[in-house]
Amino acid sequence: MNSMIFTASARILFALMLAASIFILWRGHDEPGGGFVGGLVASMALAVVALAEGVPRARRMLRIHPMSLAGLGVFLGFVSGLPGLLIDGSYLTHQWVFFPNGFKLGTTMVFDIGVYLVVLGGMLALVFRLYEDAP
Amino acid sequence: MSLVTVLILAAAGSFLGWRLSALGGVAGRLLPVFVPAGLFVSFLFHWPVITTGGVVTDMHAWVPSLGVALNLRLDGFSYLFTLLITGIGSLVTLYAGAYFADAPGEHRARFIFLILIFMTAMLGTVLSDNLIVMFVFWEATSLTSFMLIGFDARKPEARRAALQSLLITAGGGLALFGAILLIGLELGSFSLSNAATSAGQLAQSPYLAGILVLLFLGAFTKSAQFPFHFWLPQAMAAPTPASAYLHSATMVKLGIYLLGRFDAAFAQVPAFGITLVVVGSLTMLIAAFNALRATGYKAVLAQSTVASLGILVMLIGLDGEVAAVATAGFILAHALYKAALFFCAGTAIHATHIAELRKLGGLVRFLPFTAAAAVLASFSMAGLPPFVGFISKEYLFEAQLESGWNVVPVVVAVVVNGIMVAVAGVVSLRPFFLGRDKISKVDHGETLGLLFGPLLLGILGIVMGLIPGQVTRHLVGPAATALYGAPIDTSFSLWHGITPMLFLSLAAVGLGAVLAWKWTPIHDALRAAAWTQKIDADRIYHKTVAAILGIARGSTRWLQNGDQRRYTAIVLAMLLASCLWVIWRTGSFALPEFDTILPLPALLLIAAFVGALVAAQANSLIAALIGVGIVGYGSALLFVLNGAPDLALTQFAVETLVLVVIMAVLLRLPTRTQTTRTKTEHRFDAAIAIGFAGIVFIGLAAMLAIPFDDRISLFYGETSYTEALGHNVVNVILVDYRALDTLGETAVVAFATMGAWALLRRRRTDRKG
Repeated sequence: MNSMIFTASARILFALMLAASIFILWRGHDEPGGGFVGGLVASMALAVVALAEGVPRARRMLRIHPMSLAGLGVFLGFVSGLPGLLIDGSYLTHQWVFFPNGFKLGTTMVFDIGVYLVVLGGMLALVFRLYEDAP
Repeated sequence: MSLVTVLILAAAGSFLGWRLSALGGVAGRLLPVFVPAGLFVSFLFHWPVITTGGVVTDMHAWVPSLGVALNLRLDGFSYLFTLLITGIGSLVTLYAGAYFADAPGEHRARFIFLILIFMTAMLGTVLSDNLIVMFVFWEATSLTSFMLIGFDARKPEARRAALQSLLITAGGGLALFGAILLIGLELGSFSLSNAATSAGQLAQSPYLAGILVLLFLGAFTKSAQFPFHFWLPQAMAAPTPASAYLHSATMVKLGIYLLGRFDAAFAQVPAFGITLVVVGSLTMLIAAFNALRATGYKAVLAQSTVASLGILVMLIGLDGEVAAVATAGFILAHALYKAALFFCAGTAIHATHIAELRKLGGLVRFLPFTAAAAVLASFSMAGLPPFVGFISKEYLFEAQLESGWNVVPVVVAVVVNGIMVAVAGVVSLRPFFLGRDKISKVDHGETLGLLFGPLLLGILGIVMGLIPGQVTRHLVGPAATALYGAPIDTSFSLWHGITPMLFLSLAAVGLGAVLAWKWTPIHDALRAAAWTQKIDADRIYHKTVAAILGIARGSTRWLQNGDQRRYTAIVLAMLLASCLWVIWRTGSFALPEFDTILPLPALLLIAAFVGALVAAQANSLIAALIGVGIVGYGSALLFVLNGAPDLALTQFAVETLVLVVIMAVLLRLPTRTQTTRTKTEHRFDAAIAIGFAGIVFIGLAAMLAIPFDDRISLFYGETSYTEALGHNVVNVILVDYRALDTLGETAVVAFATMGAWALLRRRRTDRKG
């Protein structure tokens, strides 16, 4: 695609969409959102780069191979259940850490990041392949 | 040492033995032997408890929520087995070291590793008091047996035999699992010792028939009983040390072990004993007949093993104390002489590279000590005094005469024992002493490693026959007591006086001598007879397997022809048919009353309907894609209107991404499609689509007519923050309540995309190269 407007705005779109995807991922436990949607939005962000500036450029920006990213995601999901197994004797019972100011952080976040990475990696693997092949 | 420690050491020892046997020279051949030998010695320390009729137990929790406990129990019967497993295991490891002396180190190491892993599985099976745990180990023996039969994986017949044994023994294992579950359902526990004392409850159980049939399937497949008797002779494709260990001395006796364990539990069910006597007798006859026909050295031994297993099954079917003593005694005697004979056969085949019995002869010149061991073992097999085989045969006849059975099993036993005598004579005399000019040189001589096992077992056969009192008190007596379920006053002695049993023994030996003398003409006549070919169970098995594969191939070709339209049509038509069937069966369904029309949703639905029409009618793929997109965004907006923002968000993202992905595909396709469907096909497609849409509509509408059950949503709404600290119920369900499901689905997404990715990759390299 050779539209100059698209190429110019691609970077901005990319940054906005990536930020949005992380925001969606982060708020998922309490508000609409979550790892799955976040991953979809993030993969669209990189797909925009691939469309505007070519797949090699997008691959360079990602640095890691998308399939490895998906594998890492499954691994994170698996790992997030281990603390529950060790502390509660029940795999995937999520554990939480509370901070004095009311802020809380749980292993659910690790799990959600895993889902995010699987969706991101899996989608990008296909998108990159298909666009690389495009005439 | 506690029993669970022994099991853990055995498993760890397998890995140790694996690495040790990869060492070169004498160290690699001798050091692995210390693994099974050490376990043998550790079991000897339990001797005082077992001799006095005691039981060693060791309980550990494993999966308490499923009632599965790692409960280990050592009584007289399992003690006999553990000593055989570790004792003969030591000799097999020693023998295998010498047998594979010229093989590459890794090759030998792999074999020793499999043998030791198998030994661990065997120990686990006979030590488990929990049926589920026993089943796990039971199946592990089937798997290791598969690996060992197919050890020479480059030979097609080895692979074939390995697969056959796996299909039969693991299939029987599944049946056994069914029996175990039914027993657990009836008794409320999976404890083996509990089952043995619940004879009354089991006899009254409504599941009794199911339990018995499944249990028999499990035991008969494992112990190669009719009609599953044919896999064991095929399993001789395994290297000889494995045949000696798995397919004669230990694994095939697991079926016997299982039946023995349940003998007391089904004491009040006459069908149990009758089935065992009938099946055991049939197996004995068929195997004895096949032994006369078999040509291979190992094949003859294998057929005689099947016959011996038949004798054991029959003995368990007989009631009475003597039958229990005879069973335990015969298990011991058979393991000793049959393992020794297999060792001798292995040495002879290894030395000459000839597996056929008729082509071997005069080997005593080259293998004098092996010949001596073969003679000792075959005397015990023939049941000549003063060997232990003689005593066990006397008990076999006594058990038959004392039971309530008529004369038929006795006649069968005499005939079969006569043939066993002949087999014993033929396998020891022919290859070693007769036909001196058949073999002029051997490739390998006998080494100490090859000799130690068979000689020791042969000598043990005579020593145990000479001190029967000790053997009874320490080994056979406790085993028979455990088997019978009540203390038995055993007198396992060499000389019973002039009894009917002695005459039956004499008759068997006489018949055997005649058969051994006339072996060649009988053998030739049986092989020439055409009718023997027709009833070959192995052929029937292969025809069955081929038929099953044929059906699978045909149905795959018809159903999976690669046409996506057909797949969709089949799936939708089946759904449609089953929904219509349900409606027809229930007779009626309620539809809700329609009173108001909501304008906004109605508009969205109309838009989606138009989108669907466009998608179905458009010739341009891009127009169709936009039509599908309208349907998708329309439903997303509907989700927004109905308070499901999460769903809407996901739907929007998915729709957009699908557009992005499909556009990349479309770039490569022609913008206008040539229609390939005929008019009739189009009408058929439309009929299915409209029918399916109609049924979905009716189904959804009928669902609305039923009062909404909001217990589940209320539960999640109330507990999502208190239990899982999240306000977004949908997400909390996904990552917390049903996290394991989500993890599984995540893995599916990853693997599915990996598959698609790999397919895309191959297409690319094809184009380039």
